[in-house]
Amino acid sequence: MNALELTDVRKVYPVGDSEVVALDHASLTLGQNEILALVGPSGSGKTTLLSIAGGILSPSSGKVVVGGEDISDYSNGQLTRFRQEKVGFVFQSVNLVPFLTAAENLFVVDELGPRTGKPARATAGKLLDELGLAERTKNLPSQLSGGERQRVAIGRALMNDPDLVLFDEPTSALDTGLGAQVMELIRSEMKQRGISAIVVTHDPRITEYCDRTVQIVDGELSA
Amino acid sequence: MKIALLELRRRPGRFLMAAVIMTLIAILLMFLGGLLDGLIKSSTGAIRAQDGQALVYSQTSEASLLRSRIEPALRAAVEDVDGVERAGGLGVVQLGARVPGKGPRDLAGVALFGFEIPPKGVPDVPPRGTAYADETLKSDGVEQDMTLLLGPARSPIQIVGFVSDTSFSGQGSLWASPETWRQVLGANRPDARLAENVFQALVVQGDEDVASRIDPATDGRTDSYTIEGAVNAIPGVESQRNTFNQILGVTIAIALVVIALFFALITVERTALYGVLKALGGRSRTIFAGLVTQAVVVTLIAAAIAGSAVLVLDAVIPAGSIPLDISLGRIAISVVLLLAAAVVGCGFSLRRVLRVDPASAIGRGS
Amino acid sequence: MFLALREIGRAKARFGLLVSAIALLVFLILFQQSLQNGLLTSFTGAVKNQSAPVLVYSVDGQRVLQASVITPDLEQRVRSTEGVGEVGAIRQGTFTGAPLTESENFDTSVIGYDAGADGEGLGAPASLSEGRLPTRAFEGVASAADARNGYGVGDVVRIVPGDAEISIVGIAQEAQLNVGPTIFVSNETYLELVAAVNPDAGVPPPNVLGVAPAVGVTDAQVVEAINGQSLELDALTRSDAAAKTPGVAQVQQSFAIIFLLYALVVPCVTGLFFLIVTFQKAGALTLLRAIGASARSLVWSLLLQAVIILGAGLALGILLYLPVSQTRLGGLELQFEEGAVIGWSIALLALGLVSSLFAARRVLKIDPMEATTGRGVGQ
Repeated sequence: MNALELTDVRKVYPVGDSEVVALDHASLTLGQNEILALVGPSGSGKTTLLSIAGGILSPSSGKVVVGGEDISDYSNGQLTRFRQEKVGFVFQSVNLVPFLTAAENLFVVDELGPRTGKPARATAGKLLDELGLAERTKNLPSQLSGGERQRVAIGRALMNDPDLVLFDEPTSALDTGLGAQVMELIRSEMKQRGISAIVVTHDPRITEYCDRTVQIVDGELSA
Repeated sequence: MKIALLELRRRPGRFLMAAVIMTLIAILLMFLGGLLDGLIKSSTGAIRAQDGQALVYSQTSEASLLRSRIEPALRAAVEDVDGVERAGGLGVVQLGARVPGKGPRDLAGVALFGFEIPPKGVPDVPPRGTAYADETLKSDGVEQDMTLLLGPARSPIQIVGFVSDTSFSGQGSLWASPETWRQVLGANRPDARLAENVFQALVVQGDEDVASRIDPATDGRTDSYTIEGAVNAIPGVESQRNTFNQILGVTIAIALVVIALFFALITVERTALYGVLKALGGRSRTIFAGLVTQAVVVTLIAAAIAGSAVLVLDAVIPAGSIPLDISLGRIAISVVLLLAAAVVGCGFSLRRVLRVDPASAIGRGS
Repeated sequence: MFLALREIGRAKARFGLLVSAIALLVFLILFQQSLQNGLLTSFTGAVKNQSAPVLVYSVDGQRVLQASVITPDLEQRVRSTEGVGEVGAIRQGTFTGAPLTESENFDTSVIGYDAGADGEGLGAPASLSEGRLPTRAFEGVASAADARNGYGVGDVVRIVPGDAEISIVGIAQEAQLNVGPTIFVSNETYLELVAAVNPDAGVPPPNVLGVAPAVGVTDAQVVEAINGQSLELDALTRSDAAAKTPGVAQVQQSFAIIFLLYALVVPCVTGLFFLIVTFQKAGALTLLRAIGASARSLVWSLLLQAVIILGAGLALGILLYLPVSQTRLGGLELQFEEGAVIGWSIALLALGLVSSLFAARRVLKIDPMEATTGRGVGQ
C-alpha cells in the first residue's frame, strides 16, 4: 500500500472574477518508507500540494488517497478526524504552543483528538526520550534551542503514529550546520519508523537527504 | 480545555487586567444588589412579618398605615366576610427614642407598632408599657430590659426581647400591645390620635384568597392586599426595585461587552496558534470551549474576589449607615448573571474561531 | 492622524465594542447622577427652596418635618431668643391627593405656613415659576414636577377622606418633599384639611418654626443662640436642614461608592484595550519605526485614537442618557445634568488618556532594529 497517491489533482482558487490554478493535473505516488523532496520557487504550488496531501484542503478535482484512505470528497469534519489520526505536520516556523512545556506540546495532539490520557502521556515521554530530549520535557519552548524546538515539533508530528509526515520548510529558520543536523534527524527518525514523508523546500541542499526529488513550477510537477 | 487552563496558569499576567475589570463590575453588581435588598428589607420587614393572608387598609389610604383608619363598624364588616377566620388590629407611630447612655440630642428613630395578632417571630402581645424590639435597634445601643423614652412626651417603653427583620420605613420597630401604642400615639401625636378600638389596618387570617373578597364585601370602604401585595404597594418599593434592576441590567451588559472585547482581542492575537491547532486536528468546538473555559474561570475568580470584598464592605460599613444587605443568595445571583454574560460575550469570538483556516499554518514563516 | 483613523476603520468590530462599553458606562454614570440629584431634590427640595433661612425642629423630630412637634413652651423659647427676628409656624402632613382631572390618587405632602395677605410668609416657596402665592383659603402652590399630573395652575386637588379641595394657584420649581407632589398652603387651610381628614385629631401644634434672624445677625448666630436655649430644640440653616434630613447622607455615601467603582472601570477598560492592541500590532509599529516614523508620531497616533474612542463613547453615552434624563421614575423627575455631563466627560477623558499612556510607554520602547530580526515588543 502506498503512503500517498495523488491522481490528476487540480486546485483552483477564485480570485475576483477570474481563477488562479494553484495545482494543475498533478499526479504523484509516494511509496512506503519513502522520503520525497518537493522543490519549487515561491508561489509554485508547494504549499497547496502539501495542504491537500495533509487533508487541510480539498482538491477541486482529482483523487487523493493517503495510506489507502480516499479523502478526495471528505467533509471538513471528516478531514479534521483524518488529520488527527493519519498525518503528522512539522510547520515552517515550528509553531509550538508557547505556554506549554515540551511534553505538553506533544500531548496537545491527544488533547485535541482521541483524549486517551495516560497512554498518550507515555507515548510523549517515549518520543522525547528517543529524540534526545529526556532532560528537556518540562522546558517551555522559549527555554529550548532552535534545534531542540525542531525536535519537539517532530515529536509532535509522530504522536498519532501517522502514515505520512509533512515537513514545511523545516530548515528555513536554521543556519546551514543546524539545518543539516535537522535533516539527518528527520531522515533517521522516518527511516527508523518506516514512515513516509514529504519535505517541502526551496533549498536544493536538502534534497540529498531525501530518496527522490520532485520539482514543482506553476502548479505542475516534474520529476 | 486543559490547554486553556494551562495558559491561565502559565500566563496569568495577560488575564490580570480583565480579571480586575470583571472584579470591579462584580463588586458593583453585588453592591447595587445588596443595596436594593437592604433598602427593600428595611422598608418592608414589618409588613412581611405579618402573620395572615390579607392586610386591610381603609379606602383612600394608598397602602399607607399612617393614613389608614379602620373604625369598629368597618372591622365588624371585614370579620363578617366569607373566609375570614380572624382579624387583628394593627397601628404604628414613628417617634424618636431616647436611649439610656446616649447624648440628649442623639435619638434613635423607632416605629412603635400596636398589634393584636403577633407577627412572625414575636412570641406574644407583651404587657402594657413593654415591647419587643427589632434587632437593628441594637446598633443604636438598645438592650434587653432597657427602658426607652419615646417622643416629646417621653413615654417609657421597656424592652422585653428582640425580633429580627421587622424594620419599617428604614427604622427599627418596637412591637407592643394596642393599648401601649394608642397611649404613646395620643401622648406624642395629638394630630394623629385615634379613639378606642380604632386601628390603622387589619391583619386578616383566613383562606388563601380571602384578600380578593374583602373589598367587594365592604363596598369599597377597604383597600385590601395579600401580604406580598401589601409589601409591593408600600410607596417606593416597586419603583426602587425597577430602577435598581435596570441599573443592574445595564451593568451586566457592560460585563458582557467587556468580556466580548477582551476575548475578541485575545482571539485575534491567537489566530496563528488556532491555525496550527486546527491543522493538528483540533476542532473549532474544542478551541471555542477553551475560550469559554477561560472566560468562566476569569469570571469565577473575579466573582470570588468581589464576593469577599463585598462581605468585607458589609462588615466594615457601620450598622445603620448605608442600608446594605449582602446575602449569599444575592452573591449567587450576581455570579450566575456574570457567568451568563461571560459565555454570551465569548460568543462574539465564535465566528472568528470558526473562520480560522488550518491551511494558514502551512507555508508561513515566523 | 491618517494611521489612527485608518486602523479604526479597519477594525470596526473591536473599536465598536470598546465604544459601546464606554458608552454604556457613561450612560450609567450619568443616569445615576441624575437619579441621585433627582432623589435628593425631590426628597428635600421643599426644605431647601422655602423662604425661612433657619428652621427649628424639636429634637424628637429627628430632622423630619412631619415628626417634629413644637410645643407652645418651645415656641415661646424660640421667640424670646436673642437675635431672632421674625418667626413663623410651619406644619406638614402627608395626605392622599386626588386631582380632579386624574383618575389616580397621589401621596401628597401639604406644607402649611403663616401666610400674610399677599401670601408671603416664612416657609412659603422661595420663588415661583408660574402663578402666585395663596392669598385665600383652600389655595395652594404646587411642586413643578407634578404639574402634569393634575397639580398645575388652575387644577383642583381633592384631599381624601374629607373631600376638602385645594385650588392650585402657583408653581414652584424643585419644591417636592419625600419624592411626591407637594402643596404649600396657609396654616388656616392646613388645619381645615387635618380636621376634615381626621375628626378625632385636635389642633396640631406647629411641626417646625421658620426663623428669620434680626437685622445684623447671621443665620449661623441665630442657630447657635436657639440651640443654646434648650436641649429640646434643633435649629438648622435651610441648607443644613436639607442636607441632614435622615437618608440624605446614606444616599450620598451609596452613590459615592457606586460612582467610584464605575469611574474605575472606564480607564481600566480603555487601558487594557490599547495595551493589547499595541501588543498585537507590535510588528507593524516596529516596521513603521524602521521606515522612519518617529516614536512621538506613533504615540500621538495612539493618543489620538484614545481621544476619538473616548469621545465617541462619551457622545454615544450622553445620547443614550438624553432621552432617559427627560423621564420620570415613579414620583421622581429626572433632569439633564449639564454640570455632571461636563464634569464626567472631562474626568473620564482624562482617566482614559492616562490609562492609555501605559500602551504609549510600550510604543516608546520599540527598537526599530528589531524589524530586521522579526522581533517586536510583543515577543
